[in-house]
Amino acid sequence: MSLLTRIVSGAGSAAQSLWDASGQLVQPTLRLGVTGLARSGKTVFTTALVHHLTRGTPLPAFRAAAEGRIRRARLAHQPDDEVARFPYEEHAETMIEARRWPQSTTRISEMRVEVEYERAGGWRSGPATLTLDIVDYPGEWLLDLALVGASYAEWSRQTVEGSRRPGRVEVAASWRQNLAALDPAGPADELVAERASAAFKAYLTALRAGPEAVATTPPGRFLMPGDLDGSPALTFAPLDLPRDGAIASGTLAGLMERRYEAYKRHVVRPFFRDHFQRIDRQIVLVDVLAAVDGGPVALAELEEALDQVLIAFRTGRNTMLSRLFSPRADRVLFAATKADHIHHASHDRLDALLRTLVARAVKRTEAGGARVGTVALASVRATRETAVRDRGELLRAVAGVPEAGEEVGGEMFDGETEAAVFPGELPQDPHAVLAGAVPPGSFRFPRFRPPAITRDAAGRPAALPHIRLDRALEFLIGDRLA
Amino acid sequence: MNQRPRAFRLDRPDIARADVDEAAPTAAIVVTDEPFDAIEAADGVVVPVARRRRAPWLAILMSALGGLVTLAIGLGVERLIADLFAVAPWLGWIALGLAVLAAIALAGIVGRELGGVLRERKIERLRAAAADALAVRDHQAAKAVAAEVVALYAARAEGRAARERVRALGDEIIDADDRLAIVERELIAPLDTQAKRVIADAAKQVSVVTAISPRAIVDVAFVVFAAVRVLRRVARIYGGRPGALGFLRLARAAFSHLAITGGVAVGDSLLQQVLGLGLAARVSAKLGEGVLNGLLTARFGLAALSVCRPLPYVREVPPRIGDVAGELLSAAQPGRPDGPL
Repeated sequence: MSLLTRIVSGAGSAAQSLWDASGQLVQPTLRLGVTGLARSGKTVFTTALVHHLTRGTPLPAFRAAAEGRIRRARLAHQPDDEVARFPYEEHAETMIEARRWPQSTTRISEMRVEVEYERAGGWRSGPATLTLDIVDYPGEWLLDLALVGASYAEWSRQTVEGSRRPGRVEVAASWRQNLAALDPAGPADELVAERASAAFKAYLTALRAGPEAVATTPPGRFLMPGDLDGSPALTFAPLDLPRDGAIASGTLAGLMERRYEAYKRHVVRPFFRDHFQRIDRQIVLVDVLAAVDGGPVALAELEEALDQVLIAFRTGRNTMLSRLFSPRADRVLFAATKADHIHHASHDRLDALLRTLVARAVKRTEAGGARVGTVALASVRATRETAVRDRGELLRAVAGVPEAGEEVGGEMFDGETEAAVFPGELPQDPHAVLAGAVPPGSFRFPRFRPPAITRDAAGRPAALPHIRLDRALEFLIGDRLA
Repeated sequence: MNQRPRAFRLDRPDIARADVDEAAPTAAIVVTDEPFDAIEAADGVVVPVARRRRAPWLAILMSALGGLVTLAIGLGVERLIADLFAVAPWLGWIALGLAVLAAIALAGIVGRELGGVLRERKIERLRAAAADALAVRDHQAAKAVAAEVVALYAARAEGRAARERVRALGDEIIDADDRLAIVERELIAPLDTQAKRVIADAAKQVSVVTAISPRAIVDVAFVVFAAVRVLRRVARIYGGRPGALGFLRLARAAFSHLAITGGVAVGDSLLQQVLGLGLAARVSAKLGEGVLNGLLTARFGLAALSVCRPLPYVREVPPRIGDVAGELLSAAQPGRPDGPL
């Protein structure tokens, strides 16, 4: 059964790729995959990227822009009619006018940018157009990719074992009470299933609210249901199954298993197939600083989550055949976001930390022949840099407006006052953080409000400041604009 | 590591604010704003120069004509041998032997030329790869570049210790620019010194020869000769062994480089050069010419240096005309205002 579905879905995506490839001849299209767990900054990255492309801001390290070869870039009608449009204007206005970050994404949306540029030369010269497709989606859904390869029994076991880990025991207590009362071999009662599912959802929500949560526990739709809220495919929960017992139909476990498979079939696979299997270039946004803030447990969790997610992607060098039937992402950029929270003298250390975190994924991607890069960037730079001399001690700090309710070193902020914040110094050796050699409380990375944007005489806002967004762009799409 | 995170409200009255270039106020806590574009500056962004290429029709024409000429020569030789066989078989055998010998020699020459061109291409590719790695801070690419540079000089006796030091970096996680800077410092900087000395010598020689040569044609011949020699020597220092073809490629690259940097040079020292020249020329026309020719040679030498160098300038300062022709310039400067003039 599973082999058959795999073959069918493989044939489907191959046909899709072939269709795309024929379209490539007429209009070259690049699908940019913006990947990242929840709260890693996907929406802000996409907004900033579209902002700079469409405004034509000077981007020194983005070669096509620096050479003045980009004539203009404009938003175009997106290719898929059933997907919502990425509300770029709304997000940009929220950041520039209200100085608030965009709300967390609750559903999938898509955006197409047409870049008209002048070719750099070679056999063909003259104007050309590159179409750039970008997809934004809730990061919570990403970890569902790990479910594709797992059966219901395996998933149940993993989830139940995960709840026994230190630090989760208290959060999991009420759900585990509920779980203990359930009999997998009992009758398939709808109300029991609903109650179990509600308890499980409450557990997942509580987990995410925890201070150390950097990654969420799948299934992601339990947290961000999109338009499927309340449907049977979203009403299931793991059960404490006996190790060797087969699941009989008609029992509670049988019902749960059927719904779990339905979730995979109707939710996870289509999402994965429609949006991730056809990616040409990929950027993986990682909020390293938040994980550092959370401590070694959070870092390990992040590493694990990233690794699981990236296994699901097809990366590697494209051959003639693979380009036609199953295109692979041939460039993957790992980006440590929110680099504006630390002084640039420490950016190298942030970069090294990121490389240590994604070392496994990098190795695998490189073995496939894809080009891999890492960068510490800030899609929108919310701070400027300062040097603070505090009673003879020199601190390289960043200054900005911390969001209301943030607290640093006993100082509470109201979201209006500007402050210079010294977030702690990242260690020279990235392994020190992972090994837990850094005493807790050594770091504090508060959230800053978006920067105040100056306006010119005509009242037009200036471009959003950024850190190394241009380098990321050059790596991701620079060669396609040559 | 023992510095705890902390925050300083900028509206607190006991915090003093300062600008970078002001003297620091004497408060307990002083906050100094740093320049906003410091990150761009730290990344060392260079505005890249556009490379424009057109469809290579001329190259196609030349290769097509070349193919035709080769065919014609082949046909002629074949006819000649056939004719000789017709006259006397032993003549034919001798001619065949000679033709085979010529073919072998040709293959040898072509092989050597190809080797030279390939080496040069490799150096050019290395430089481009290094520039790309720097532009996107791709540490993997930088690692590959470093390994290739080490391999390029692996056969040389000198600098073994430096190569070992670079190789010892191996898989350590180092930023792209740091790694390339280390390679540059360890392996390339000593070669830079050698190349600069060669250029300075040539410039001095040219200026002396020009100053004492009896005829203009001798000057011209010597300047061309010196330029060719400088180019060859510099290429050899950096590991290229250009044959005739490779030499032409290099010379073209050096001249086009000269055309680009010639414009830049107006800003740095041309005024000084021309002024110095005017005064020197007033002292002696011949001396002035000598200085000018020397400067030209030095400029060409610098262009040769930049097209032969396997890495772009990462942290080292690119040599300027004063570094290789400093003696000429100071020689051309007349006495001080309070001197005898």
